[in-house]
Amino acid sequence: MTVLLATLLKVLVIFGCLISAAGISTLAERKISAWIQLRRGPNRVGPFGLLQPLADGIKFMFKEEFVPPGKSRFLFILAPALAAVPAMMSVAVIPFTGRIAEIDGTPILGSVADLDMGAIFIMAVSGLGVYGIILGGWASNSKYPLLGGLRAAAQMISYELSMILIILAIVAMSGTLNLREIADAQNDHTLLGFLPAWNVFLQPLAFVLFVICTFAETNRHPFDFAECESELVGGFHTEYSSMKFALFFIGEYCAMIVMACLTTTLFLGGASVPFWAEAPWFIGLGSFVFKAAAFMFLFIWVRWSLPRFRYDQLMALGWKVFLPLAITNIFITGLVLAL
Amino acid sequence: MVIVKRKQLTLGERLYLPEIVRGLSITVRKMFAKRATRQYPEEPLVTTAVTRGQPRLAMNPDQTLRCVSCGMCEAACPAYAITIDAHEVEREIEREPEHFEIDMLRCILCGFCEEACPKEAIWMSDELELADYTRASLVYKLDRLVRPVSQLQGRIDYIEEINRRWNN
Amino acid sequence: MTRIRLNGKEIDADKDRPLIAAALANGVDVPHYCYHSGLTPVGSCRMCQVEVTEGERPARVVAACRTPVSEGMQVETQTPAAQAARRECLEFLLKNHPLDCAICDKAGECQLQDYTYAEGQSEGLSAEPRRKLDKRRSLGEVILLDQERCILCSRCVRFFEEVEGQAQLTIAGRGANSTIQTFAGRDLSGNYQGNVADLCPVGALTLKSFRFQARVWNLTKRASTCGECSRGCAISVEVLRQGQVKRIRPRYEALVNRWWMCDTGRFAFEGATLSGRLEGAQLRGYSGLEDCSTSEALAAVATGFAVHTNHVFIASPWLTVEEGRDLVELAQAVGAVLRMVSPEESGLADKILNTGDPCPNRRGLADVGIESASAPECLQLCTGAETATLVGERVVNLVGREALSEHDGKSRLFVFDTQALDAARVAVQVGVASWVERSGTWVNADGHESPIAAARSAPAGVCGTQGLLDDLRALVATCAPGSVSR
Repeated sequence: MTVLLATLLKVLVIFGCLISAAGISTLAERKISAWIQLRRGPNRVGPFGLLQPLADGIKFMFKEEFVPPGKSRFLFILAPALAAVPAMMSVAVIPFTGRIAEIDGTPILGSVADLDMGAIFIMAVSGLGVYGIILGGWASNSKYPLLGGLRAAAQMISYELSMILIILAIVAMSGTLNLREIADAQNDHTLLGFLPAWNVFLQPLAFVLFVICTFAETNRHPFDFAECESELVGGFHTEYSSMKFALFFIGEYCAMIVMACLTTTLFLGGASVPFWAEAPWFIGLGSFVFKAAAFMFLFIWVRWSLPRFRYDQLMALGWKVFLPLAITNIFITGLVLAL
Repeated sequence: MVIVKRKQLTLGERLYLPEIVRGLSITVRKMFAKRATRQYPEEPLVTTAVTRGQPRLAMNPDQTLRCVSCGMCEAACPAYAITIDAHEVEREIEREPEHFEIDMLRCILCGFCEEACPKEAIWMSDELELADYTRASLVYKLDRLVRPVSQLQGRIDYIEEINRRWNN
Repeated sequence: MTRIRLNGKEIDADKDRPLIAAALANGVDVPHYCYHSGLTPVGSCRMCQVEVTEGERPARVVAACRTPVSEGMQVETQTPAAQAARRECLEFLLKNHPLDCAICDKAGECQLQDYTYAEGQSEGLSAEPRRKLDKRRSLGEVILLDQERCILCSRCVRFFEEVEGQAQLTIAGRGANSTIQTFAGRDLSGNYQGNVADLCPVGALTLKSFRFQARVWNLTKRASTCGECSRGCAISVEVLRQGQVKRIRPRYEALVNRWWMCDTGRFAFEGATLSGRLEGAQLRGYSGLEDCSTSEALAAVATGFAVHTNHVFIASPWLTVEEGRDLVELAQAVGAVLRMVSPEESGLADKILNTGDPCPNRRGLADVGIESASAPECLQLCTGAETATLVGERVVNLVGREALSEHDGKSRLFVFDTQALDAARVAVQVGVASWVERSGTWVNADGHESPIAAARSAPAGVCGTQGLLDDLRALVATCAPGSVSR
């Protein structure tokens, strides 16, 4: 019973934190873009503009609801939910920290659900997000959203393939699909006596490929062909307004957060602190949040630095470069493990 | 026919990642550079004598208007923003504007009125802010146009200097 | 006719007229202040100096206004000698001129200004201070004299002597202290004082009513005809910002008024203001006169013509010939008695221009067949008929506003006037345009046709009389007598 209550509490806290983090990310996006462009960014709402996400949320609620005629109203409303919910769901298996406490002999762990096949779950669920986008694009009954939706679908399939192959290499090294165990496996020894045995050092090629794939997977710059303001007016969400539009946005930022967390777990040792194996759980949590935040910063930083790819370049990169490299990586990993 | 010779890319450039890192390093340095924006209402615009703001009418220290409503600015105004009605007053210069209106929505701040004025009465002040809720309230009447000469002195000195240089 | 050579061109010149007249008639502008075609040339300003060569004699510079034309004379206006003579003369004229153009009402139509730009020099040589004189001397109710601006051309002096026939002004004092003055400081009198403000080539004599009213370049000028007597002087109506008639000035018309007009006509626009106008139409309803659209009012009038018999039309003498014709046709269609109300003599008749008959178009309306009737006769006709239609500006006042308000006859009044008549018998009234807002033709007492032109637009809801009469005639045709049951 207490265990159930603790799990419920964890669900509420993690969900709340995720939504807030998405809000803070939008502010961070605007602030960092402003700094890069020698501007100051939002600074009118609250101290340093910290209440800007709240103001945006309230503004979204008061915006006009518009549903384009001609296609299914149900699907049009369903699409943003389909885009946001998988992103929020996949956060359930992320091990934010180590063991928090023990009740009646049952350990309370740092994730909502300590699934044995967490890696598969996260790929499966986050892969569902594309449905929301393609559905939204189609239900908008407009050419630009449709193009954006189709592009998003093609792009996600292309890069998910490479991504799964990369994760496969990590899984092969760790020998488990459980994300907590994958993270822990990186902390049981050191390399050359000073480096933590994080996968980023063991698998540098996989790390670079994986990070780039996360950009494509979350439709972020330089691979944001689903939105593509200059060509597609905004892509799949052109016809969306009010909270439905906001839901797309929350979904996008949640997906980014999940990907940042996943990268942290797979490559940066999760909640571990280097050279402090016995760190208490809240220090571990801080370490995890710090690493994930660094990736979030990278997402934003890259967006305001690089130009968008051309669509054919994106596909060529996905199929002609990433897929062979990922397969090669698996073979090398297998070879090393077999030896 | 023009043949464009494409530059042969080096391996580093073709790999693309080093170039990305270079780009990222530029943007991250810019994050700590000096801001280009000014916080407008808190930091007012810096104006100088060269600033050609909204036209204003000069008032002598003895509370009389310099303007004799001769209509030169009205005639010079390319936007037809100025409307003047004169009346007679009991002093040596017997003519004064009864109504002097500048439609600030029409005014294009060109400064022709300042140039046309034979009485050094209308000057382009350093006042730039112009916002209100109705069109009618942006038709400035005498009460909103008149400024003491001292307030316009910077501009007056500047124009005199320019004229002196021009004439020599 | 005499042949002379002007700036290298052979021209014909009138031997009895001065040389300057020949030059001006042939499009050669000779600067002048004291010369005026309507006045005796005196040669006081010396601005019209030109170079003349006659026969074998060497060229000399003479004043063109005092030099008669003679056969074979060769005239050059732009030789260096002539230009220098004029420039020097101009400097003397400007020596004591205050140069307060920024204040002066004449600025923009000032000959001194124009010729100084064309011929003068930008700086004077004199270091003496300018003389100080009275800048605001009143010469009666019409004219204000600025003695500093005066260049002593004496046009005004000659105007009173030669045109009005009685000298009222003179040049008094000597040298630099010479000024224009009235005899014994009396005010100017007579009905032609305003003309001296037009005559004055500078801003010395100005109209009090125009003082500081407008800059002249802002005035829209429209050629029209004066409506204050049956002389029909040619005038220019000058309007500021499309709405305000600021002044009326005479236009040259050789057969009617030449250069002049009387003050009655000159200041008539003060009565033609926009205040107190009847704007739109009114119809008698249960609660008195109610506002309605013009078409509703006209329909009610047409119905009135159809329902009743025994109609009377009273026309205003301010109607144009075109409106008169329309009214005659309408009266025939309705079967009405048509008269033009003929006011009494104004008592302003003089030997110069004013005829004393205040009707500007009596002759024109008589020509189209409208008989005149005195105000009491018209009133009697109105009260006797079943419907009385009064058409044109001032018609109610001419017939008698009091009498029309008080009359207790049976007749219904249909009023088309500029001002409202608040009387129990008024069934319909429609506001019409005044003579400064309409176009058409008037015929003066001598049969001279002259145009009137709309100088400003009528107030909102007010139509021209002619359009109303056209509409009314069309309505009358559709509801002929008998088609509406009584």
